[in-house]
Amino acid sequence: MLPILSLIVLIPLVFAALTLLTKTKEQARLMALVATVSVLILTLYMYLNFDSTTAAHQFEELYQWVPSLGITYHVGVDGIAMPLILLNAIVLPFLVLFTWNDERKSPNKFYALILGTEAAVIGVFTALDFFLFYVFWELTLIPLFFMVSIWGGPNKHHASIKFFIYTHVASLVMLLGIFGLYFAAWDMTGTPTLDIPTLLAQFQLIESALLKDMIFLALLFGFIVKIPSFPFHSWQPDAYTEAPTAGSVLFVMLKIGGYGLFKIMLPMLPFTGSPNMMITIMAVLGSVSIIYGAFLALSQKDLKRMVAYSSVSHMGYVLLGAAGLVSLSVSGAMFQQFSHGLIMSVMFMSCGIINNKTGTRIMNDLGGLAQKMPKLAVIMVLTFMASLGLPGLSGFIAEVSVLAGSFGNLPAYVIIALVAIVITGAYHLWALQRTMFGVFDKKLGTITDINRYQTLSMGVIAILILYFGLNPSAVLDMMLTNSEQIASMMAVMGV
Amino acid sequence: MIPIELYIGLSAIIFSIGLYGLMTQRNGIRILMSVELMLNAANINLVAFSSYNADLTGQVFALYSIALAACEAAIGFAILMAIFKMKGTINLDSINILRW
Amino acid sequence: MAVENYAFLIPLLPALAFVLTFFFGKKLPNGGAIIPIAAIATSFVISLLITLNLLANPEEVVSQSFSWFAMLNIGILVDPLAAVMLTMVTFVSLLIHIYSLGYMSHDKAQSRYFAETALFTASMLGLILSDNILQLFICWELVGVCSFLLIGFWFQKPSAATAAKKAFLTTRIGDVMFLSGIVLLFTDLFKIYNGAIPDGVYILRFDVIFSHIPEIAAMNATIFGMEVSHITIITLLFFGGAVGKSGQFPLHVWLPDAMEGPTTVSALIHAATMVTAGVYLVARTFPMFIAAPSSLLVVAYLGAFTAIFAATMGIVMNDIKRVLAYSTISQLGYMMLGLGIGATIGAEAVGISLFHLINHAFFKALLFLCAGSVIHAVGTQDMRQMGGVAKVMPITAATMIIAALALGGFGIPGTIIGTSGFFSKDAIIESAYVFGASSGMWIPYVLSIVAALLTSLYIFRLIFMTFFGKARTDYGGHESPATMTIPLSILALFALFFGGLATERFNTFVSDTFMNDFVHVNIAELAEIGGYHLGHHGHEPLIILWLPLIVAAAGLLIAALVYGMKVVNMDRLVSRNNPIYKLLYNRYYQNELFTNFFSVKVVYEGLSYAGRAIDTGFDWLVGWLSDLVLETGESLRQFQTGAVQNYATAVITGVSLLIILIKVVMEVL
Repeated sequence: MLPILSLIVLIPLVFAALTLLTKTKEQARLMALVATVSVLILTLYMYLNFDSTTAAHQFEELYQWVPSLGITYHVGVDGIAMPLILLNAIVLPFLVLFTWNDERKSPNKFYALILGTEAAVIGVFTALDFFLFYVFWELTLIPLFFMVSIWGGPNKHHASIKFFIYTHVASLVMLLGIFGLYFAAWDMTGTPTLDIPTLLAQFQLIESALLKDMIFLALLFGFIVKIPSFPFHSWQPDAYTEAPTAGSVLFVMLKIGGYGLFKIMLPMLPFTGSPNMMITIMAVLGSVSIIYGAFLALSQKDLKRMVAYSSVSHMGYVLLGAAGLVSLSVSGAMFQQFSHGLIMSVMFMSCGIINNKTGTRIMNDLGGLAQKMPKLAVIMVLTFMASLGLPGLSGFIAEVSVLAGSFGNLPAYVIIALVAIVITGAYHLWALQRTMFGVFDKKLGTITDINRYQTLSMGVIAILILYFGLNPSAVLDMMLTNSEQIASMMAVMGV
Repeated sequence: MIPIELYIGLSAIIFSIGLYGLMTQRNGIRILMSVELMLNAANINLVAFSSYNADLTGQVFALYSIALAACEAAIGFAILMAIFKMKGTINLDSINILRW
Repeated sequence: MAVENYAFLIPLLPALAFVLTFFFGKKLPNGGAIIPIAAIATSFVISLLITLNLLANPEEVVSQSFSWFAMLNIGILVDPLAAVMLTMVTFVSLLIHIYSLGYMSHDKAQSRYFAETALFTASMLGLILSDNILQLFICWELVGVCSFLLIGFWFQKPSAATAAKKAFLTTRIGDVMFLSGIVLLFTDLFKIYNGAIPDGVYILRFDVIFSHIPEIAAMNATIFGMEVSHITIITLLFFGGAVGKSGQFPLHVWLPDAMEGPTTVSALIHAATMVTAGVYLVARTFPMFIAAPSSLLVVAYLGAFTAIFAATMGIVMNDIKRVLAYSTISQLGYMMLGLGIGATIGAEAVGISLFHLINHAFFKALLFLCAGSVIHAVGTQDMRQMGGVAKVMPITAATMIIAALALGGFGIPGTIIGTSGFFSKDAIIESAYVFGASSGMWIPYVLSIVAALLTSLYIFRLIFMTFFGKARTDYGGHESPATMTIPLSILALFALFFGGLATERFNTFVSDTFMNDFVHVNIAELAEIGGYHLGHHGHEPLIILWLPLIVAAAGLLIAALVYGMKVVNMDRLVSRNNPIYKLLYNRYYQNELFTNFFSVKVVYEGLSYAGRAIDTGFDWLVGWLSDLVLETGESLRQFQTGAVQNYATAVITGVSLLIILIKVVMEVL
């Protein structure tokens, strides 16, 4: 059988190198399109052949690498990883199309970095060995750092350094956690291994409750900074806002924090020394993120910054759902990651277009754009509605699953999240009103509607938002299978 | 026979003088001379113990050490000459262009 | 093939019409209006046929379910309650669409208008057809978003955009309560099934919910030291949703502002869709409410209060559409009151309330369309600039007077002669009397009677100010085209005769909506959970039957004296110096209180800026940490002087200290 997982990581990597060698924008974008489309085709093939009734890993590949240290080349996907790979594979070709006619310096580097990010992010999702996992995890930083620091906005240097150091520190703490697990397990079994499933199974054998808690917290810290969650979110608005549009979309595709939460944290959770404390930590951070992000988004003047803060709010659902520990809430949280990726990418594209056409993102300076850009207005209204959780669109499925699922175990935190829904509605509508509706300001000059590449890319993603809102089972089934496994483990351990 | 303590005492005194010079002096040549003193203090010890233990290894080592001290002095003085030609002084405080 | 199998087409056709009109409407004449009109007409025919079938066999409801995701489903349920709503919504919506052909003919964005109204109708139909509470919520929200789009239809106008936002946000407060209720209900049911839901059981479907009411009622929560049953909490939260959607106090503030949209949209929102959704929700989940008597009391009191509260404001408004808006709020209060008094009369309350809802839909749509017709011709919404319009627009005037009579509730008790509003509103007021007689709580009855007086007063004030007397400005104007007057005439017929013809049959038909193949709820048993026994309509004293008519006539008389014949000079009363007038005119200062103070000052400026300050704090903390690292490095750097002599000194001092230390340690040991 074809080594699909290796291919979908290798193809973008190889093409990234080739793209660097190209001379013109036309060649570079063509390369990028070919690479991303072939990843999409392979992923769709994988998705269609995916068995969503089993929680086991599929499409596995396993080769020895450094046996003396227990490092292997082990890749595979399950119901947690598959939707996220699908998300990346779907969005990136359209991201390339979206930037098709843009003028920018050194396009070859630009597209190479896009492909590099895709390879690294998909690499994290496929890795079943902590060595691979960590390598890809760190690899995601590099292209994004350059993306911000080369093509970013006026404050790009500050933002890129802040992002890099912040998340890098978190990664190092996570690495400490990995080492703790690795050496503790080595001590007990006598054979070194970095295999993720094996180590997760051996975690419960560690005797010291304190050590288990330390390992858990170290890994958790690494993940929640990436998500990002309150109070470790302050790199995110800067980085999202200063990044070029494509960079912001890539940031949104960076769902590795939440992925780690489901893949690594939840299986470990019932065996930690004090699982209830861990659940409380996650629930508090999640619910505070939801309401806190919402209030901050409400107070923003800059459209893109508002979207960035709304992302903090939305990612709170991921933590809250994970802490809910019922199959519905956990799968809702996974679905939130997926749906949030789709919604936010269109939202950032809209912000990028508005910034390009009018030269400003300050909402008070805008207004009445719907008269000049009806196509953008339709797409933007749709995605804003999806983002505020309108039923029939994908965001609602995630929200309602998380809320309904978590309420039984965490009623107080869910009530906080429910209050935030009103605020969420308020800032979305307010932003729409001040950018799209009202009187058009002549000072903004002549403004043309979005071009057909932009219409195509944003339109297709918007249709997918609708599709997954009406037919969530398309990805929710595989998430449910895996989250049922997690939930049943919790039930066995009496958490 | 002169007791070993006297040799060690002498050696310690010379070493301390050399150390003091090394720590306080600013002139390059004086510092080099202080280093020579410390080396010679060590040589005295080597020779004294060698004689007491009837083992020639110590004296051989002392010869090595003297040869090494000569080399060190030669290179050291050469560097100091070069610095003097360049800067007109061999005060070490003023030779800090590589600092930080 | 039986027509029941096509029930799913009822919401689907208008939804399809939305897609077609949205993408291709611009290329067709009239903005593609023919597509939604045809779609809704077909839906209407299907609904009507199903209703007729149901009338013959009330047991054989239409019910189809499909698995959606997890343990939730998508499905349709047409029982008598849904059937009458479907027929009414499709019918009124159809007439409004036809009317819009004329009314919107000059608008540039016609195709967008028809697309959005089609979607609006589709969402409302989906809401009515839902066989589970989640799907109902989904359509509920879609209705909300469509109202947002339609109220903000002329989005270039900042006031329209603001009104749209206000409508959406205010109703969203209610929606969140509704959602909270669903979340709590789901959790309780999940607990009842112990987390193991058998295949084929859809946990949020109404039959499952209703069959577990006793278990939910047995669950208690402690709130502020009080033991409250879960069923009470859930129903109150549901009612919270209904309060938002149906414009009950205190979430009614969006409704008058919703007049920023085209008048046809107001008619659609106020008559057929949107506002009736809240009443429908309470009616749909009535078995839950009956098991929670305190919730029903809240419904009754709030409904009665809203009825009179809105009516007082209706008296002083000068904008013709605003009068109608407050009238809607007031009438919705009546419907809620009708449901709330179910505490004594059981499932009959659903029948009475729904009957008023249907009748109200007819005459309120008629009132709005007439108002639209007047505005269309006169070019203003301010009644002070009208007067004598009856001469120019006889058909409009005649139909509007019929509607006003229906709203005022004129008819002869004990016969089938009377306007439609008479039968339904009197039934509610009489039930309020029964409620008072059996429970000793007379406040709802008193409020409803006074509100009836005010209703008649404000609507005839509108009639007299608009249609009679001399023209106060030179407005020109002409009778509207046939596409507009024909729907008016049809609606007028219904407003006149529907009540008298349908009253008996309707009430028994709808009241039995919880007894069929799909659900079989014994309302009396559920009422016992709530701790009371159901009473019946007794023989009310004659004065009780006649009193509503008497107060309505009194209202008409006062309006005629003051505004028609001008025998009483109102100038002294109607002035800014009169504190009561001022209070009413400024709508009890609720706009200042809710919108300007609470939303803007407290939530927006207060809380969100506090949040910003905290965030700056976090940023500062992180910055401080990184500065700390840098400064530590900077100060540590001072030790690296680069002078070998210093290093030598340090080394020697260190070594000496080490030797002494070792020496001391050795000594001690």
